Amino acid sequence: MNLWRVEWLRIWRTRTVWILFGIFIFFGILGPLTAQFLPEIVERAGVAGEIDLPPPSPELAMSQYVGNALQIGVLAIAFIAASALAFDSKPEISVFYRTRATITEILTPRYVVIAGTAVAAFISGTVIAFVLSTALIGTPDALATLKGSALIALYIVLAVALVGLMSSLISSVPGAALLGIGTLIILGIATMVPYVGPWLPSYLVGGFDMLVAGGEFDYWGAILVTMIATAAATWASIILMERREV
Amino acid sequence: MSTNAVEATTITKRYGNIVALDAVTLSVPKGSVYGLVGPNGAGKTTLLGILAGLRSPTGGTFSIASSRVSVLPDTPRFEPWLTARETVQVSATLADVPNSPAAVSDILERTGLTDAADRKVSGFSRGMLQRLGIAAAVVSRPDLLLLDEPAAALDPQGRREVLDLVADLRGESTVVFSSHILDDVQEVCDEIAILTRGSLVYQGTLDGLMRDVAHGYTYRIEIRGDTGPAARVLRACNWVTQIEVEDSVVFVSADSTVELESELVPLLADVGVPVVSIGPIEQSLEDVFLDVTR
Repeated sequence: MNLWRVEWLRIWRTRTVWILFGIFIFFGILGPLTAQFLPEIVERAGVAGEIDLPPPSPELAMSQYVGNALQIGVLAIAFIAASALAFDSKPEISVFYRTRATITEILTPRYVVIAGTAVAAFISGTVIAFVLSTALIGTPDALATLKGSALIALYIVLAVALVGLMSSLISSVPGAALLGIGTLIILGIATMVPYVGPWLPSYLVGGFDMLVAGGEFDYWGAILVTMIATAAATWASIILMERREV
Repeated sequence: MSTNAVEATTITKRYGNIVALDAVTLSVPKGSVYGLVGPNGAGKTTLLGILAGLRSPTGGTFSIASSRVSVLPDTPRFEPWLTARETVQVSATLADVPNSPAAVSDILERTGLTDAADRKVSGFSRGMLQRLGIAAAVVSRPDLLLLDEPAAALDPQGRREVLDLVADLRGESTVVFSSHILDDVQEVCDEIAILTRGSLVYQGTLDGLMRDVAHGYTYRIEIRGDTGPAARVLRACNWVTQIEVEDSVVFVSADSTVELESELVPLLADVGVPVVSIGPIEQSLEDVFLDVTR
């Protein structure tokens, strides 16, 4: 049984796969439903005053999905990634792996399986949101949805790499997850800085909405920076983990 | 080609101002069972961690003439969602040794885990985790096996099985075995090193420890009546290093057993001392250990 098989067993037996798919599929269903029925829900709730709600549209359905799913999804991804990548938090388990394999051999399957599962969960939610939107409201732009999904997938991979980097700096699982989330929040705020913002990884998150709404594809700078940041964070985490004493 | 599996020269490890290991120099012969003995906090785990490559020494050098090193921490833990069989399989796969179902079952049987082989590790007791740790370490067929307090958490039966397992590995692997249970060390180790407060205070065989460090040999002589004449005649002998008198008993110490065995009885007979009993006092390993680590 090699380390790839161990990681597949980890995501199945710790129910990680169900948690991630559950979150994204739930919001994949909720997004189109809220886009279609929100005016009725508000009316039946008897909210006082007049609320100006946008009319239901495929773009709104997909936007609702991505906006809601990523908030909870990234939190879940960060904690799940930290529980696999911050393996020094349990020194005895760390000794088992460290005395039998190199850090690269230990980390590679963990990165790939966690990031791959998270991206697959996001894609499955996107497909469900797309199908439901088509059935209830109208068909979203398929190519724009595909491009937007690719941007979010890159962002998810970066989130896993950042949590990995934090795991090499701090050996606590919650600590690594929260530091990773904190870094993503700071990057999100920094997106508002003129000139710099469009180059930051967080700019990719807004790209999904913009593309589905018919916007131009101007994300090459953020894509490049995200890929470089992902590679750098992964490389740094391997170096730092190798230097750490347990 | 070196006959030693481990050669460490002036290994030092500092954590800030704390000296965990202070210029420790030791040699572990290939194929031996080597005991690393010392009180809690002596530096045993730190030394094993350095030999395992898990920690870097602050100073000194060491070499390991082994391609495959296995380590068992004092409180082993494993992925709780793997079964015992899977854990052993992972260990064997990572060590790149054959891990056929029969080989894995065999090692699980040797460590008394056959009944729990397909149970998830999350429900294992500390003793079972210790056995699983030994199974996972042994299955990789290590040239050098580093065991940190392997029997500390086990019940008497488990302890016996572990000691037998360690004894079986003699010649097959070099075993460095840290413990503060002196009976275990006495039973399975060919050579020992005693660490105290980060310093190596003895290295060699157990016989050598008893001979060289136990401050010579002492005989106990019980006398009927006055002990004065016996004490006086013994004090006059240049080979006697120490005399103690308690009631009707005289304790006489010497650097070697030669004079005690050949001269003591004739000497007492010459002065007509009525001797009730006479014989050597066996110093226990514990006495010597406490003496050395004090």
